[in-house]
Amino acid sequence: MLPEAIELLLIVAAVFAMALVFSPAGPRRHLLVKGGTGLLGTAAIVAVPTVDLAVLVLLGLALLDAAAGGKRPFAIRLRLPALAVALLALALAFSRFAGPNALERFAAVGLAAGVAAAVGVVPYLHPFDPEEGASSSPIVWIAFVGPVLATVLVWRAHGLLSADAGSAFGAMLIGLGLINMAWGSLGAWLTENTVVAWRYSFVADWGLVLCGFGLTIADGQRAALLVLFTIVLGRLPLYLGSRQALREKIGTERPVNLIVGAVLAGAAPSAGFAARVLLLRGATQLYWPLALVLVLGMLLWLPGSLRLGRSLGRPRGRQAIGVVIVVAINVLAGLYPLPLFSAANL
Amino acid sequence: MIEGLAGFVAWLGAALVVLSDGRRGLAAGTAVSSLGIAILVLQGSGPVDAAIVAVGGAVATIPGLRSGEGWGLMPAGSTPRLVLSIAVGLLALWIAASITTGGGAALRFAVMSVAGLSGARILSSDSSPVLLAAVGSLALAAAAAAALGGAPPGPWPYAAAAVIAGGSAWLRPRTASAA
Repeated sequence: MLPEAIELLLIVAAVFAMALVFSPAGPRRHLLVKGGTGLLGTAAIVAVPTVDLAVLVLLGLALLDAAAGGKRPFAIRLRLPALAVALLALALAFSRFAGPNALERFAAVGLAAGVAAAVGVVPYLHPFDPEEGASSSPIVWIAFVGPVLATVLVWRAHGLLSADAGSAFGAMLIGLGLINMAWGSLGAWLTENTVVAWRYSFVADWGLVLCGFGLTIADGQRAALLVLFTIVLGRLPLYLGSRQALREKIGTERPVNLIVGAVLAGAAPSAGFAARVLLLRGATQLYWPLALVLVLGMLLWLPGSLRLGRSLGRPRGRQAIGVVIVVAINVLAGLYPLPLFSAANL
Repeated sequence: MIEGLAGFVAWLGAALVVLSDGRRGLAAGTAVSSLGIAILVLQGSGPVDAAIVAVGGAVATIPGLRSGEGWGLMPAGSTPRLVLSIAVGLLALWIAASITTGGGAALRFAVMSVAGLSGARILSSDSSPVLLAAVGSLALAAAAAAALGGAPPGPWPYAAAAVIAGGSAWLRPRTASAA
């Protein structure tokens, strides 16, 4: 089993426990059933010994998620995860064919497209309904199952592809990452609906993750892991915490909103800042103009993040405790991320 | 000879799933497709794995055949789907037989054509029975892809695919609600 994936799975389990503790009593049972099923499926993706089985588990999970119901129709819920499975199955087949080297490049295309479709990032954004509950929405794929799934698929893909196709795969991930950074951060800033802005902010963070995965050096992998950490243990719980204020359309400009906005923007000393430094260092080692493009993209995070920070409202009671814990964990991980890296053998 | 026929049968089943709108037609497509894949698995991985695929396909077929609904084969306006089925088959045949080398050309053809056609069907339909039938065929093709590496992958991919194919046919998705 991959240590990075196990670490992320444990973090996902911790966030699930936090969501159960800090969520209102009404939706807790619903969350327990749906989240528990998702967590079991995610654990199965990590535990299975081959990538083929991981892809089949993904298909089973997609079926269960689509059949569980929600505001979006069954076909809309199932379509993109199932397309991801078709792309990944074809990619795995092409990676095993004997023949010209171009076949492996087709496999790399299929793997990159499959990862994007499974997670739900550009160009395969899952249709989103702002009124839908978080446990039924595409946030499940982008912030709960997606981080572990993408880690498993990307790490196992490197073992399937030759050096040449592996480089092409990395380049495609960087290209997808840059597009997602721009699309997500501009969307989070400019879109009218704040729930939709939250979703775009996840997409922007995934841009950083894909760039990190694409940089096939240690700093890139470390950056990807740290951004995934901030998605699962930062952005996701803060999004869940903001749902009540979003429903009531409450926006406040208190210090807590500024602090949360700073954490979401990846300002120092949060984990997002450390991830960005690592990403820039990795990009400079590999090809310095890429670092320049990344810096320009990272500047776009600020306006959207301040807006999302305001959407949290004024946290009270359990919710306030949850926000304090999330911010503290993110600052701690930003100041001292080494235990995270050593647990993942990075 | 048998391998080649089995590959053709697998493609035919996937093409039936693409060309049918009725539950019986979809069930027939799943049955034919799983039969072709089971024969290919029998050749490469042995009788136990082939039996798992066959049982998964059979379980997936029952609810559609018992539904009492029509076959819905090639309804009006399905010419583009027919062209798609033939084009995907020809492309997969060209890659499997001419571009790639080594044994197992029929399995390569079956995996590419069934996965490609199922993926296309998933993208093009909003009907739950159609999507579930396509997902069943896709699961079996994804499991068969595991055998392309050379060594038999063991029974687990086939068992997982059989559970997905069999389970999806019996699934009754909830309609969109205010959840």
